[in-house]
Amino acid sequence: MYGNSWDEDRAMDLLNQLEAILESDPLIDEVGFIHPSQFVTLCKEGGESGDSSEDDVLGPRNTKFWNRDHKLGISTEVLLPLCKAAKGAFMDAMKQYRTLNSLSNNKHEHENIMYGSLSRQSFDSEIMKHSRALLLLSCDFGTAWNSRKLVVSKKQQLAMLMDELLLSALVLSYSPKSEQAWSHRRWVIKMIAGKCSTMPEIITKESELVEKIAERSKMNYRAWNHRCWLVSYMTREQMLHELKKSRDWAGLHVADNSCFHYRRRLMLGILKNSCCKQECDDSSYDVENYQVVKEELDWNEVLIKRYVGREALWLHRRFLSQCSISHLTMNMHGISSQSEQKTSMDNEISIFMHNELCLLNSCSTIQDMEFEDFQAQAMYSAIYYLWLIKLIPQFRESEVQVKLKAGNLKTILHKTCPERSFLWDFLDLNGSL
Amino acid sequence: MGELAVEKHVEYILAVEKRKDSFESVVMDHLRLNGAYWGLTTLDLLGKLDTVNADEVISWIMKCQHESGGFAGNIGHDPHILYTVSAVQVLALFNKLDVLDIDKVATYITGLQNEDGSFSGDMWGEVDTRFSYIAICCLSILRRLDKINVEKAVNYIVSCKNLDGGFGCTPGGESHAGQIFCCVGALAITGSLHHVDKDLLGWWLCERQVKSGGLNGRPEKLPDVCYSWWVLSSLIMIDRVHWIDKGKLFKFILDCQDVENGGISDRPDDAVDVFHTYFGVAGLSLLEYPGLKAIDPAYALPVDVVNRIFFSADN
Ligand SMILES: [Zn+2]
Repeated sequence: MYGNSWDEDRAMDLLNQLEAILESDPLIDEVGFIHPSQFVTLCKEGGESGDSSEDDVLGPRNTKFWNRDHKLGISTEVLLPLCKAAKGAFMDAMKQYRTLNSLSNNKHEHENIMYGSLSRQSFDSEIMKHSRALLLLSCDFGTAWNSRKLVVSKKQQLAMLMDELLLSALVLSYSPKSEQAWSHRRWVIKMIAGKCSTMPEIITKESELVEKIAERSKMNYRAWNHRCWLVSYMTREQMLHELKKSRDWAGLHVADNSCFHYRRRLMLGILKNSCCKQECDDSSYDVENYQVVKEELDWNEVLIKRYVGREALWLHRRFLSQCSISHLTMNMHGISSQSEQKTSMDNEISIFMHNELCLLNSCSTIQDMEFEDFQAQAMYSAIYYLWLIKLIPQFRESEVQVKLKAGNLKTILHKTCPERSFLWDFLDLNGSL
Repeated sequence: MGELAVEKHVEYILAVEKRKDSFESVVMDHLRLNGAYWGLTTLDLLGKLDTVNADEVISWIMKCQHESGGFAGNIGHDPHILYTVSAVQVLALFNKLDVLDIDKVATYITGLQNEDGSFSGDMWGEVDTRFSYIAICCLSILRRLDKINVEKAVNYIVSCKNLDGGFGCTPGGESHAGQIFCCVGALAITGSLHHVDKDLLGWWLCERQVKSGGLNGRPEKLPDVCYSWWVLSSLIMIDRVHWIDKGKLFKFILDCQDVENGGISDRPDDAVDVFHTYFGVAGLSLLEYPGLKAIDPAYALPVDVVNRIFFSADN
């Protein structure tokens, strides 16, 4: 369809227009693809149709691109020819670039110094120009991202690296799951890490970007994975701060397992952080750490009761109770000789277990069989309890005494999840239920 | 329960290659080698690999090889381990591994191992347990596993294990069925499955089955045909597949077929694609659907292909 040269010329023309827009407005922070019918409305709203640029020599420009307030709209009508043209232009530029490289690598090098450095500049900018246009149309075109890394790593300029973060954010604005765009950010950050004093600031901004994107793109694994990756660059104080800062968001997105995993990542970072420092005899961390886990546990219980039947909340609780128990038992080993403290630890463990049992009791009663959420709540609470029995030896001893209002665990599980055969295997192994 | 529309799926896969002028096919062009692996493995599982011209495919694949030894997703692109594994797998399907300079490919992969045992995907240094699996799978097929530090590679994978028993992309990354497949697969190939808490991981994996019978890849997500492969193969490798309801999963996958035009989608009534067609058929193969070739859960290749590689290499 676009095989003949007339169409190719038109496509090149479109590409030139796009590249000119990108050149003239380097602060574009959002790009979207718009159906032609929506385009008319957009342009009318902007009052652009008044000056009727339809007779523009470049063709009817304002029905293909829309650019205002640093937002860019591209008509879906031109996506295919535009993408092909961008790809063609980029691949040509790469071919020339490679030829030039192999030329300067051989013995003719000094003859080419003047010519070489001049043309290298222009080849670099050709590659940057075409790859940028291409990546706005085809976000996972790895070779185009790589070509930018190649050019940027030769120049080693902080400003250029920061520009890459902008481009990647722009690509993520239309394709929030783009693996390549996220990976490009990590490459840039690793490059910056060694030579920039504003790293903490950059990490904070990255974290905010993820939250902004996660708001529009639910349960986005790539985005949250990026945020988890950032934790390795954080200090203990930053981790504590992030944990506090991201709490409200998590409370509003209780079905998003990824945001709770992020909290787990931060908590493990905080806990690990104190393990390493234990030799410096800083037991104040220990108290603070347990406080972090305890607060999260209480908050999680509030959410579980408020948002009935949410899997992610119950899974988060598994993690939290595991942390609590291992904290309590670890301390117990440390003080085994002092029987008074041992008793108090035993006490804390039984308080914890009692609390979990109360939670199970209040959640396992199906108040209304009509509502799936209540059934789900009963199922998750029963499975959670089963999980505690398996993971934590202390629970195994107490399980026999379990007296639930709703009947025993087996009855609840039979009622709510008859298809989960693995649970029956597990129950049978334990017999006593 | 419906039946697998074998003929329709074969037609669909053969037609995909010819549809080149859509926006989708242009933006997928850079990973054509992955597409070739998905399509051709499906054809082989369906017993129809002979409907394609092997020589044409092989000569195209060899044009995707870079001087470094790695393969690109298509001619003129940069090499990456993701495409290198597809090249090796497709050549294995056709019993044509001998066209490769095996040491050259092995050198490329070996060069991507980092000091901590992890693997980068290419020269730009992104690290992911997917790349560990690919490196190990590829080198094992090429009989060059001794070229890397296997112990370090295994330790890195183990360092990506979470408290829930699952695995993520890097240490501390969220558990995800796709990553779990990669980590369990790599541990299976290297004989290191003792690092896995099978009951705990099996529990997490079984909880991926939702009411409709389909499997999701993470908590609270919708079921998706591609997880039939990742979750099932992992469950088989750790010997816990009897913990899920196979009958319901059968039905879910078959409900995702386009019985008129061929192909399988992620969920019933969605648009089909080659990726999900492959994972649907591979999932059915793991469930021992009658008439399909058996697939190996670790190598993601038909069992007869895997046997051929290791049997002939021993001679
Ligand atoms: Zn899928």
